[in-house]
Amino acid sequence: MNSIELQQTLPEVFAGRDTIVSDVWHRQVAFQKGKMYLIEAASGTGKSSLCSFIYGYRTDYQGIITFDGVNVRKLTVKQWTDIRKRSLSMLFQELRLFPELTAWENVQLKNGLTGFCRKQQVKDWFEQLGIADKWDVKVGKMSYGQQQRVAFVRCLCQPADFFFLDEPVSHLDDGNGQIMARILKEEADRQGAGVIVTSIGKHLPLEYDRVLSL
Amino acid sequence: MIWKLLRQHISVAQLAGFFLANLCGMVIVLLSIQFYKDVLPVFTQGDSFMKKDYVIVSKKVSTLGSLVSKGGTFSKGDIADMEAQPFAKRTGAFTPAQFEVSAGMGMAGMQLSTAMFFESVPDEFVDVRLEGWTYREGQDEIPIIIPRNYLNLYNFGFAQSRNLPQLSEGVMGMMTLDVRISGKGRTERMKGRIVGFSNRLNTILVPQAFMNWANAAFGDGRDNAPSRLIVEVDNPADDRIAKYFKDRGYETEGDKLDAGKTTWFLKMVTGIVLTVGLIISVLSFYLLMLSIYLLLQKNTKKLENLLLIGFSPAAVARPYQVLTVALNAAVAVIGVLVVCVARGSYLDMLGRLVPDLEEGSLWPALLTAGVLFLVVSVLNVVAVRRKVDSIRVKK
Repeated sequence: MNSIELQQTLPEVFAGRDTIVSDVWHRQVAFQKGKMYLIEAASGTGKSSLCSFIYGYRTDYQGIITFDGVNVRKLTVKQWTDIRKRSLSMLFQELRLFPELTAWENVQLKNGLTGFCRKQQVKDWFEQLGIADKWDVKVGKMSYGQQQRVAFVRCLCQPADFFFLDEPVSHLDDGNGQIMARILKEEADRQGAGVIVTSIGKHLPLEYDRVLSL
Repeated sequence: MIWKLLRQHISVAQLAGFFLANLCGMVIVLLSIQFYKDVLPVFTQGDSFMKKDYVIVSKKVSTLGSLVSKGGTFSKGDIADMEAQPFAKRTGAFTPAQFEVSAGMGMAGMQLSTAMFFESVPDEFVDVRLEGWTYREGQDEIPIIIPRNYLNLYNFGFAQSRNLPQLSEGVMGMMTLDVRISGKGRTERMKGRIVGFSNRLNTILVPQAFMNWANAAFGDGRDNAPSRLIVEVDNPADDRIAKYFKDRGYETEGDKLDAGKTTWFLKMVTGIVLTVGLIISVLSFYLLMLSIYLLLQKNTKKLENLLLIGFSPAAVARPYQVLTVALNAAVAVIGVLVVCVARGSYLDMLGRLVPDLEEGSLWPALLTAGVLFLVVSVLNVVAVRRKVDSIRVKK
């Protein structure tokens, strides 16, 4: 997948509003593979909606979203499954980890599906992010910041054309934010992937090609 | 890993409840079918050498008919009409002997001799498996089938009162009768051998070939109309038969139609039991579905997350499908085992009641278990998949 395009897209809940000032809604926006984008948003501007539209688990929008020119509304279940496994990696704002599994099991669940990373690689990332001691700890017993890092590692465990990170550093200190940014950049460069990051305050410190405000 | 995640919230109590309920239903269904198949032959079993589904028809003997000596015989038209009936597969006529017969038997120094009669039916109504049911011209020995009643009459009436030994069927088969045939001024002595006993044919039967020869040799040449017909029918319990006979004033002989009634009651009782079993099965199926739905509902969030991190709906549904199919398989297997055990106990009893009953097979139960297992499993698998799909497309 080389590009994600939004053509005049607008959440249906915004349809009644008279004026919308946004770089994304109701405009023509294209995200290219290999580039980095930051989407800055205030609360209530539809950031989570944007994520769910692009990731295909909500369809309550107007306009068109396309992957390489293909309308995502036309994708089959199988195509979506493939995209989520091979093309589009999402770090959800709400993380979507399984609290009853350990940190490693959570990562392994995804990695077992894609077979993308070696265990050592995952260990290295855990170490760099300072959560190596949480390897066998159930995610439910970890702090939100720690969980955010586990979810981040999990989203690296797949081949990707785009990494879509929804508020990845909301509960992280700057140090960890920088480590995360470095790892992300390495992975994105290695795969030639695009990066889309959203933020309502703290930014993941990267050299963005374009900053949009939602 | 998925299993570890999804097995949470599984309610052992609910599944055990389903398991027992379904087992109960399954056993009732299987047992009723198996029992029906095992017991049915008791009522429909005929003489081993006769085709099973036939009735013997005669006309009513009326007082007026006796007086004017208008015989209760069947005309050619009657026979043709009978043959044209949809229920009649084949119709044959009893051929009466047109000569005099007397038979004697020597035993323990005592000579028993009596006047007798012979009748014959076309050979295709007598099962060919019966050995020795042949007669060629010049053959000295005549195969004979007599009613079992005659033997009983002798054993329990005559022999008892005269202190004579009782005879088994085997011994009777080894003894020969002295048969004297006379007609047209000729007399011939022949040997008779009893080759079979009939519960249902109330006559002394000889092969058609012998009858043809003897009637030609000793008969007076009259073309006697038959007084009894033997009719092979599709289904003796068919009410058209009874209605047709009643309209024509015909009478039937033998227990075939009574067996039809018994069979009907057996069918009805089995049907009721079967229905109860099926209802229990359906309810237990419902219980399982509710239980699985509840499980899916409790795990909705997890399922949604699994789907979102790239698991296919099929992969997510599979653990539940395997769970239900495994449960169903266990129920089917245990159900069949229980039926095996239960069958063993009632077959013993049945064997004592009806010693020469053919041993049925376990196939009806196995087949039913297989079909039920397949149907229920397919429904379960489809239902689980649809439920998972409904989570996926939730807006």
